[in-house]
Amino acid sequence: MTGRWSRGWSGGAVVALWMVLLLALWEGAAWYIANVAQVTAPASKLPYPHLVLGTLREHFRPLLEQGAITFGNSITGFVIGSAVGCALAVVMSLSRTVEHTLSPYMVASQMVPIIGLAPIVYGIVHDAALSRVLMAGYVTFFPVTINTLRGLQSVKQEQLELMRSYAANTWALYTKLKLKAALPGLFAGLKLSGPLAITASIIVELMGAPDGVGVLMISSLYYGTSQVYMFWSTVLVSVAIGLVLFLLISLAERLITPWQPEFRANGGEPR
Amino acid sequence: MLSDEAVPSTEIAVERISMVFGKKDHEVEALRDVSFEIYKNEFVSLLGPSGCGKSTLLRLMADLLEPTSGRITIGQEHPREMRLRRKFGIVFQNPTLFEWRTVKDNIELPLEVFGIKKSEYSKISDQLLEMVGLTPFKHHYPWQLSGGMQQRVAIARALSLDPPILFMDEPFSALDEFTKEKLQLDLLEIKKKTNKTIVFVTHSIPEAVFLSDRVIVLSSHPGRVHSILNMDREEGSPSLVRQSGLFHEMTAAVRKCFYKESDSLDGQMV
Repeated sequence: MTGRWSRGWSGGAVVALWMVLLLALWEGAAWYIANVAQVTAPASKLPYPHLVLGTLREHFRPLLEQGAITFGNSITGFVIGSAVGCALAVVMSLSRTVEHTLSPYMVASQMVPIIGLAPIVYGIVHDAALSRVLMAGYVTFFPVTINTLRGLQSVKQEQLELMRSYAANTWALYTKLKLKAALPGLFAGLKLSGPLAITASIIVELMGAPDGVGVLMISSLYYGTSQVYMFWSTVLVSVAIGLVLFLLISLAERLITPWQPEFRANGGEPR
Repeated sequence: MLSDEAVPSTEIAVERISMVFGKKDHEVEALRDVSFEIYKNEFVSLLGPSGCGKSTLLRLMADLLEPTSGRITIGQEHPREMRLRRKFGIVFQNPTLFEWRTVKDNIELPLEVFGIKKSEYSKISDQLLEMVGLTPFKHHYPWQLSGGMQQRVAIARALSLDPPILFMDEPFSALDEFTKEKLQLDLLEIKKKTNKTIVFVTHSIPEAVFLSDRVIVLSSHPGRVHSILNMDREEGSPSLVRQSGLFHEMTAAVRKCFYKESDSLDGQMV
């Protein structure tokens, strides 16, 4: 999946085609439950997509503004969480003892449900922006640590022997070899945790933050069927900002690690 | 300085080396009581079947492993001292190039690690690129090169700090026959130009005979020195040398070591 998404803009046409097909299917299904199946309040089950898109366009300004708030805080938390994740991975790769000491706590930290942690964090810091940043960082660091650590440990024996034969110190070993070799793993972790960071921010907003796309989401839920199109619009906005983050990460991966087999011009075959 | 012709000076002395891998109950004896000397500017092959510990021996000389017992000295020093002073380069069977670096950057890796200024090492790598014939490919990435070209990069990289000793661990065994013969010739050419001491691990009898001044034949399980053979050389073009009677004589002499070693293997060894 990651390969396909990051293969670039040539696949864009295919994606657009699928989008159109999906919308057509959705439209058809909405028509079916409203007119053939005749369920009560069909819009609250599955509204017509053209009406959702209409609402999206009508309220584009506030949706965009609130989405930007969510996105901004998520990114901040994501960046901080990634930095912490990388640092943890490096420390753990330096020492087996540290790795064995930290691992159980890290795993346990991921067992705490975000939906339970978000109100606690919000209750303590009482600041929506800071809570979003903290929660986004919290869900980010684990996948980043695990994948970066695996990348750091992926270095081959002969590569290590080579660096040893140059009498390379730890700094050189990391900057010239290990960190470079870990980059594909780091990006795998970032792609996993990027969308998670956005979700975590939205959950904080559902818990009573004053702004963000999650607030629009929950307030439109309170008003039942009349706001159903608004609700679906907020869902679409959430999906969109998740996708934007994912695409940004993929783009960065392409630029920073162009040597990876899937980015090679001719599929990695020798010329 | 003493005259070199009369008494060749010892570069590497291997004294009663034994090597045991693994812990109790699962011990594997890789080398038993191995001793020999390698002289300055010599081309020596360590030849033997798999399991004879030849790669282990090379790693011991390069201070990548510690012997269980015995002692290795390189120019009177412990291998560690020589490693820290970057007195040898290594080429593995796998080129082990860093895939995120271009050919030129790969060659410059040891120079970077050593802390030489970029302005100085660019000239060094250009000269090495010229020597291994890869100047037109200097901005290519490893995956854009054939296996033989990748191994040339690895050789150039091993030479970049201009060490007096070159350790080579089956460097050509993954290459096709044509590439292998070409690289063997090029290696002899490099040897002539740079006059390095080369320790070359191989399991190919013709390769050892063709390249070496001396061949150290090892037998396996555990690895021991079977015999040490001087290779006589005939002057002439390499293709002639490969077909010459002397070459066949030498090959036969080496082969005899293996056949004589164990009668039960006789006729079964292909």
